[in-house]
Amino acid sequence: MADVWIAGAGMTRFGKRAESLPDLMAEAAAAALADAGIETPDAIVVAAMNPEEFTGEGNYGSLIATHLGFSHVPAIRVETATSSGMAAVYSGFAVIASRLRASVLVVGGEKMTHLPTPRVSEIIGRSIDPHERSYGSTMPALAGLVTRAAMHHRGLTAKEISLVAVKNHSNGARNPFAHFQEPVALEAVMESRVVADPLRLYHCCPISDGAAALVLRSAPAAVRIAGIGQGMEPIAVRYRADLTAFRATQAAAEDAYRMAGFGPERVDVAEIHDAFAPFELLSLEDTGLIPPGKAGRATLDGDTAIGGRLPVNTSGGLKARGHPLAATGIAQIVELVWQLRGLAAGRQVEARVGLAQSIGGLATNNWVTVLEAR
Amino acid sequence: MTQEVIGASRCPRCERVVAPPALMCPDHPVAMEPHLLPAVGEVVSFTTLHSPPEGFRSPLHIAIVELEGGARLFCHGEETRGVKIGSRVSVEDVNSVFYFSSMGFAARARLFWRRAGYRGEKVAAIGKSFVKGFLRGKTP
Repeated sequence: MADVWIAGAGMTRFGKRAESLPDLMAEAAAAALADAGIETPDAIVVAAMNPEEFTGEGNYGSLIATHLGFSHVPAIRVETATSSGMAAVYSGFAVIASRLRASVLVVGGEKMTHLPTPRVSEIIGRSIDPHERSYGSTMPALAGLVTRAAMHHRGLTAKEISLVAVKNHSNGARNPFAHFQEPVALEAVMESRVVADPLRLYHCCPISDGAAALVLRSAPAAVRIAGIGQGMEPIAVRYRADLTAFRATQAAAEDAYRMAGFGPERVDVAEIHDAFAPFELLSLEDTGLIPPGKAGRATLDGDTAIGGRLPVNTSGGLKARGHPLAATGIAQIVELVWQLRGLAAGRQVEARVGLAQSIGGLATNNWVTVLEAR
Repeated sequence: MTQEVIGASRCPRCERVVAPPALMCPDHPVAMEPHLLPAVGEVVSFTTLHSPPEGFRSPLHIAIVELEGGARLFCHGEETRGVKIGSRVSVEDVNSVFYFSSMGFAARARLFWRRAGYRGEKVAAIGKSFVKGFLRGKTP
């Protein structure tokens, strides 16, 4: 297997954007290609979760290739629900590692804010098991069920969960690419309206537009993909024996650490899929970054803040950077690349190894990627 | 006394039970066999949606109930007041929708009355629930 290097990284600012999805992807792709010093990649992997429903357009591999001026470059589209971005990174990784091509442009994005919230929820909800969806289950509903069980069995408190949102907003305020760039107070989070009891509005990520891109190549660059792993769980939440941990993340982490040849002890900075604030706490334990039962305490103690022992979501996470679905997994890697290259102005931490974790659906198809600076 | 049962499926290889019935085991490429479970169990978790999707009334109470015999079930409920993780509940299948309740007849009648649908359907559902409750020996 050939080493896979990240030669370029770029993204649009996330938030409410007037541009079309192809234009957002073009902005991110241009930034990543310029960063890599490559005019034309050997192949393109596009990530988009529900572009047919959100934008009315399909055939996204070809659409984006032509839109970027690469109509002759082989392009595919990859989809694993909300983790589609990291699935695209994996596809690009496989292409380079197998020596099929020397360079790959990985670009992902979503355009959502032009539709009313109930419609957006319904479209995202199509990634839920159909039987469970027939009961009115939405992503927040399933996350609410997980959160109540986690609070009951693992002792997570409303304050610990809310502090995740406070921390990530505070980080987002230092990231010019974030959707939300203003801090929020703990009281505001804890008193925001209930969405899916016990989850409140400020525990949930926003609806955002945006795109992110990477250039992967076989020639050495500043950052290497040391390991990448995938893990699965039944799409039906009722088929799971344990609601309070995500087996899909645990399996993905094991896979990624095995490939990397080292474990969580070497990770200096992490981007975690906090679509719902309690998921950051569960995921820190699922990835082994924090021992079981300690993530809440670590958050209270500031261990996961910028300047703490293990900074988590320096970008603001999904909570503050925003969550344009298929852009997210790629944007997590973009943030880590910037951290490892010393380009994260305003929120820079000391780091040689970074970890990104992405959740697809209600943790049905998860990914963990480990990056190492050269 | 008649005991209400829930239709389920059992994997002949790993003995896993799922509900409602499914063709294939989620863990093996093996056809599942028909199975029945008692309609009683424990609440695994529950939530309340205050802005439920189109077609559902607010507030929408959703619970996961683990039936005796292992399978977990998504259920609707009239309310979650007094409900805790681990609470014992009975489950009813009314027109292929499961409802959990730890309540008497009046609360169940209210539940079915609030469901969307024609008046005749609502009355039929209440009647069905009443008969089931009576057969179980509950006081209406």
